Amino acid sequence: MSSQRFSGQRAAVAALVLCLGAGGSLIAHAQNAPAPGGLNAGRQAADERKAVFKLIGTNFRSVGALLKDGAQYDAANATKRIERVNFLAGLLNETFPDASNIGEPDTKAKPDVWTHRADFDKSLKEFQDHLVTLVAVNDKEKGLTEPFKVALSAVAQDCKSCHDSYRVK
Amino acid sequence: MTLFEDVAALSKQRRAPAGAERQVWDLPVRFFHWTLVVAFVTAYVTNRLGVAYFKYHVWAGYTVIVLVAFRLVWGLVGTRHARFWNFIRGPRETLVYARDLVLSKRRKGGNGAAESRHYAGHNPLGAIMVLALLVGLGTQATLGLFANDEIINTGPLYGYVTKSVSLIFTSVHRQLFYWLAGAVALHVLAVIGHRVFKNENLVRAMITGRKPHHAVAAGEAITSSRVWLAVVVGLVLALALAYVVGHAPLVDSAEF
Repeated sequence: MSSQRFSGQRAAVAALVLCLGAGGSLIAHAQNAPAPGGLNAGRQAADERKAVFKLIGTNFRSVGALLKDGAQYDAANATKRIERVNFLAGLLNETFPDASNIGEPDTKAKPDVWTHRADFDKSLKEFQDHLVTLVAVNDKEKGLTEPFKVALSAVAQDCKSCHDSYRVK
Repeated sequence: MTLFEDVAALSKQRRAPAGAERQVWDLPVRFFHWTLVVAFVTAYVTNRLGVAYFKYHVWAGYTVIVLVAFRLVWGLVGTRHARFWNFIRGPRETLVYARDLVLSKRRKGGNGAAESRHYAGHNPLGAIMVLALLVGLGTQATLGLFANDEIINTGPLYGYVTKSVSLIFTSVHRQLFYWLAGAVALHVLAVIGHRVFKNENLVRAMITGRKPHHAVAAGEAITSSRVWLAVVVGLVLALALAYVVGHAPLVDSAEF
């Protein structure tokens, strides 16, 4: 009984010490944390863009496959995917702050993104513009027509051009 | 001399008196060589043109694989100067050739200069380039079968490997191109060097198959191209590749 109470007290003390320790280290960590725009913000931006690109990739692949021989056009799926990618692409503007130039292995974005910023921003803008066009063309055509394929290849080509220039491969 | 002039020379050659030239390269070797040039250039151009041209890029790759495999077989069963044993030399002979090549150029016009030995077929340095290009191009095209562009396109054998392995192969596939382009440039420079310093027109020889009689000893000339054997070998290899590609696991492009 007493030994049980004793072990309970010991556990409580241990828990208290742990809490204090954890709290202390949290405070210490907060004090050492870089200012906004520092490494943490950079990592967060890199994580965010990776998540966005992942979603762009999986969604675009589904509709990009229409460029291959023998593909079947499914209006509901094509429209859903294209609209998603169009929305997602708009999120990318905020995901390349200077602090997110953190290099491999944390990001496959080449430092060229930041050293050739004007060109990179232009490429990103083209990608977004081509997506707006693709949405419009898809709404109008609703089928695997030549204008649709042209608009779709333009977007696919934007992926490749930017990968070729700005992604570590 | 341009390719056009070479073709013109080829048609003239038909009317030239027999015996003025001797046959060195068989028709399969020449067909192999120029088709490989076309396939290599096509592979590069279709990559630069973009994702929509990927299917032609794949066909260029298939062509390279069949051609390289063919050339490896032809190096065993082809005609005299196509056979590896008849043109691959040991390090000593290669070094002697390289040394004489450099020295004879330097002492050009001087008496008693050591002229580098003449070879009717590939010289020892050319042999190294033949092997390097065969191995390099074969590796390049094979890696491409497993590659993926992280957008919509995958190589036909992508289904056999994991995504991370595919990405490594893709990376090597991308970087190896620059080495191959360098090797091709060196190869072309050497051919130009033969034209300028040795007054040998190797381009024309690779088109007509013939070299001047003084460049080829009578016993070194070939008398047949073994075209039918080459056709059979080429067909078998093409079918083998078609079988492998046709039996590869399908990749759902939405999932890769």
